[in-house]
Amino acid sequence: MKFFNNGMKTPCGEIHIVKDRCKGCGFCVTYCPMDVLELSDEFNTKGYHFPEVKNPENCINCGLCEMLCPDFAIWSTLKEEKEVIEVLT
Amino acid sequence: MIENIEGTHPIDSLLREGSIPFVWCPGCGIGTVVNTFVETLEKVKIDLGKVCVSSGIGCTGKVADYLKINCCNESHDNAIKCAVKFKLENPETKVVVFLNDADFIASGADDFIEAGKKGVELLVIYINNFIYIISECKVTPTTPFVRTLDDENLELPFNIPHLAKLCGARYVARWTTLHVRRLMYSITDALENPGLAVIEVISPCLMYYATDGKIGETIDRMRFFHNNTVIKHGEPTENLDIRLQDKIIMGRFVDK
Repeated sequence: MKFFNNGMKTPCGEIHIVKDRCKGCGFCVTYCPMDVLELSDEFNTKGYHFPEVKNPENCINCGLCEMLCPDFAIWSTLKEEKEVIEVLT
Repeated sequence: MIENIEGTHPIDSLLREGSIPFVWCPGCGIGTVVNTFVETLEKVKIDLGKVCVSSGIGCTGKVADYLKINCCNESHDNAIKCAVKFKLENPETKVVVFLNDADFIASGADDFIEAGKKGVELLVIYINNFIYIISECKVTPTTPFVRTLDDENLELPFNIPHLAKLCGARYVARWTTLHVRRLMYSITDALENPGLAVIEVISPCLMYYATDGKIGETIDRMRFFHNNTVIKHGEPTENLDIRLQDKIIMGRFVDK
């Protein structure tokens, strides 16, 4: 199945992380709908694993990670809007 | 990726300087509720000079310390009393009360009933984590499950939305910390409601999971919320007990 692609655009977001605020709860990694984030192997200064951006091109700037974070450590901003060309299911 | 920079978050301007890191455990639901509440204030573009936040004791009582708007942190049981008095003297102010089990249903229940009887315009955000953390993990009136380590609870938990409806609340809703978007819409509606509004937020608690005898973290509690909740708007409030094997019913129950 192909999408109709006349003028349809998806937002593309950019993720910012303050890694020393993170406490490693993993909410953003588990509930990201586009599977953008992963927990890194390194530690921050408090000794927790902080999230890293795995697939930066998948982010659609939905803002769920920003709202779920209990420690104000992650947020996303709108980078650009790109046109949908072809989506296969 | 930005590293080690303070004060760059878009809503850092609403938090007091030096308040991060918060005192709460990793993954505590109170932080998520504060995040959602602050984002809602930013989104509805309310005049921040006309918002007042009151809170009581315990983990939830720290909310008033961290916000950079008009706040009062009250002693034990006096959070609703202080909020009602503030609202009656400043009728144009929106007053929001953050409460936990002790301030709301255990020993501060008479103030809540009196506020409902007076019909004061308040927004009560009740954060329900099923346990008294600071007083050595004792059971509360809302603990739904039998625990084995410290206390045994053989009673049914309190039905908070039913009590709120009988006391005269004009807006009653229940969500968990996983459903942040719906919680945001609920807070937006309740801020416009000219009456007593009660929102119960079920929150994951790290210590509750530890005392249950199982090893787990707050992310396991969030998975429990994801699998065991049902959304039913307008459900009669008699059916809203939280029991051991049943699904937790959420939604917007009363909206007058």
